Amino acid sequence: MKKFKFLLIVYIFFIACSQNGNQVNIYTSRHYDSDDELYGLFTEKTGIKVNVISGNGAALIERIKSEGDNSPADIYFTVDAGNLWKVQSEGFFQSISSDKINLIVPENLRGPNNEWIGIAKRARVVFYNPKKVSIDEINDLSYEDLSNPKWKGRIAIRSSNNMYNQSLVASLISNHGIDSTEIWAKGFTSNFARKPQGNDRAQIIAVANEEADLAIANSYYIGLMLSGTKGSNQLEAAKKVKIHFPNQNNRGTHINISGAGILKNSPNYKNAIKFLEFLLSEEMQKNIVNNSYEYPILENIDPHLLIKNFGTDFKEDRTSVSDYGELNPDAIKLMDRVGWK
Amino acid sequence: MKVFTKKTISFWNILPIFVLILFLAPIIFIFTSLFSNFNDNWNHLYNYVLIEYITNSIYLILGISFLTLIIGTGTAWVVTNYNFYGKNILESILILPLAIPPYILAYTFTGLFDLNGTINIILRNIFIFDSNFILFNNIRNIYGAIVVFSFTLYPYMYIISRTAFLSQSISLIEAGRTLGLSKFQVFHKLSIPLIRPAVIAGLSLVIMEALSDFGAVEHFSIVTFTTGIFRTWYGMYDLKTAMQLSSILLLFITFFILLEKYSRGNQIYSKPGGSSNTYKIKKISGLKSLFAFSFCIFPVLIGFILPMIQLIFWSINYNLSFFDKKFIQIAFNTIFISLLAGLICSFIALLINFSLRLKKTKLKNYINSFFSIGYALPGLILAIGILKFFSTIDDLFSNFILTGSIFGLLIAYLIKSYALANSSFEYGFTNISSGIDDSAKILKSSGWNLLRRIHFPLLKTSFLTSFLLVFTEVVKELPATLILRPFNFDTLAVSTYIYAAEERMYQAATPAIAIIIVGLIPIIFLSKMIQNSKVSK
Repeated sequence: MKKFKFLLIVYIFFIACSQNGNQVNIYTSRHYDSDDELYGLFTEKTGIKVNVISGNGAALIERIKSEGDNSPADIYFTVDAGNLWKVQSEGFFQSISSDKINLIVPENLRGPNNEWIGIAKRARVVFYNPKKVSIDEINDLSYEDLSNPKWKGRIAIRSSNNMYNQSLVASLISNHGIDSTEIWAKGFTSNFARKPQGNDRAQIIAVANEEADLAIANSYYIGLMLSGTKGSNQLEAAKKVKIHFPNQNNRGTHINISGAGILKNSPNYKNAIKFLEFLLSEEMQKNIVNNSYEYPILENIDPHLLIKNFGTDFKEDRTSVSDYGELNPDAIKLMDRVGWK
Repeated sequence: MKVFTKKTISFWNILPIFVLILFLAPIIFIFTSLFSNFNDNWNHLYNYVLIEYITNSIYLILGISFLTLIIGTGTAWVVTNYNFYGKNILESILILPLAIPPYILAYTFTGLFDLNGTINIILRNIFIFDSNFILFNNIRNIYGAIVVFSFTLYPYMYIISRTAFLSQSISLIEAGRTLGLSKFQVFHKLSIPLIRPAVIAGLSLVIMEALSDFGAVEHFSIVTFTTGIFRTWYGMYDLKTAMQLSSILLLFITFFILLEKYSRGNQIYSKPGGSSNTYKIKKISGLKSLFAFSFCIFPVLIGFILPMIQLIFWSINYNLSFFDKKFIQIAFNTIFISLLAGLICSFIALLINFSLRLKKTKLKNYINSFFSIGYALPGLILAIGILKFFSTIDDLFSNFILTGSIFGLLIAYLIKSYALANSSFEYGFTNISSGIDDSAKILKSSGWNLLRRIHFPLLKTSFLTSFLLVFTEVVKELPATLILRPFNFDTLAVSTYIYAAEERMYQAATPAIAIIIVGLIPIIFLSKMIQNSKVSK
């Protein structure tokens, strides 16, 4: 028993100790293996230790809030602009003062007052089965067109619990207002091929299996599937579908970001700036896009070849991503009203 | 001597109240949301979604209760009363599904039974059906969810009912038979009423677990009260309304707990006295034996063997690079914290139940129900309550002690899994004849002495069961771990979640298998105990 107590004390001491010294503390809702690699590379280059807590974005915000002034968090890193907007609107971010960062990140991918920035981009695109959808149908297709009754029983999309769908609807509200978006959503929902289920990848597979003719999903999923690391089934499925970038004739394809901000009470502000600059360096942008199949923020970097092959010169929606956060509650309620499960 | 006794008794009175405060504080933080105003989002919820949340949750609970009762209590009845082919092994392995968290079973079920899932593909290949052949059409619905929950949660019913059947006074049953009751009447009029407290204890665990789940129902795209809570929080950024919804859920559960206590009334289920009669087991053979065997193997097949095969298949298809140095650290973290939580939680439950027995007042009896309430809350909401509670304490002492510490994490586990420990002891204590206490009193044994020398030796099985149930629960626990853990402190459940949340099951499979293996260790002990308990009877 004594030995056990001793071990316990040593262990707790060890955990407590590991949190001092030259470090940066990151609260992240990104769960990628490749992120661990990024942290390792950062430590290797700068000697700064990276401490990480990963978890659900909304729950991490609550932890930051209840830790208050005592919070050890330096950086909040997440995959959705809505969460970034939320942290900012509660006043927990501070302005990121780095000329280097301001130069790199375009304005629409930055929060008001430079309180957060995009690290990588993803586009929400249409995946279609060329056997079932004709060239005429897909040409110039916009998100708005998908409420047309000719798509009845042909569309696959995941549940409205998903933040990417919430952001998409929020962007439509931002451009058309609530009433027209609701009319659109009613038509769109009645065109579903099946009850929303599974993640984005499941929608792409449904299109490959001809359960649906087209699906809306994030761009990087096709990269993951084509890479073959997800098994041969997914690779085969991915080969059967094609990508269409919607709204090329008007505002452009819906874009969301992986992004980060520095917290108001950040105890290691300088290290936090260093870390963000590190993520935006050419080398790391290459690393990120090659691992996560996202689009880079830096313009002179190419996305992964598997993504690049689908074309990179498409027009991006310039709607400010902070609108997504602000309009997110409206988007949810709207989707409840039209019965988008 | 007199002074000493007085002191001990006051300790036994204070302890439950102190622990109750500790356990209820986080929940009170959630309840306070009820006293702030109800905002406009309630209009929306009420008009569009609330009814569906409630009806779906009720269907789910009814279905799960029905199925777990049939599977759990049914198999327990069969293995305690009959001797048939493979019975000894089945008796132990019936609890295996306990090692698989509902969300993992949900993921593997979609892998197995989806339109292009393994089973459909295998059937097509074996029977050369054409590619449009579909046996299992769509399992991502409420029936699928009921099946998934029932096949992971029935072991709770099984363990508790089995112990209850075994400890039934055989003389009572024999008396019933002599007085001319038929076999069915014995089951219906004696066995069932006698195990009623056990069945209700098991059912309430199952119901609370099902209500608090988010992962499995979300994966099956079913809107329930719990998914509604999270949708309100994550999507509408409205934690307050989410907490109000949670409070209402809790009020309902409290109401049912009280109702059950009330309906049990003053019936005393304490055992009439040392009945060490051997339990008579009937040997069956032929068709009957085959039927008993199939009935008992089926839940293990669906709840454990099939999903394990699917997981192993996935992890082989992907890679096994998960088992590296990092894995050892993560596995060590998991085992360490689960051991600690299991021990502490069981001790607390033992002390509380003992103190309640010392001086049984109606009030104390009701208090005990509230200790367990943390189990029914969605883990993440409970975690938020704990977070607020901790930060209040941290503020009082103006620097960090609890939030993001191992100690804080342990407290969270205690609150979350106390119900499991409590159910073991509650039942264990009813099995100790109150005559023993009276004899002890005459021999001047009371307080610690009574606990240590008389009750504890009699409660060893309860203690082990409680320890093992809490251990397995903590190994699987996710939401509280995610939000309350210290930096860089990963557990196996966390690594599984990291992949499973993105439905990257190929990668999640390996850590999931690791959870199951670690969870299996105590379960193997538990089944050993089950074996032994039978021998000693």
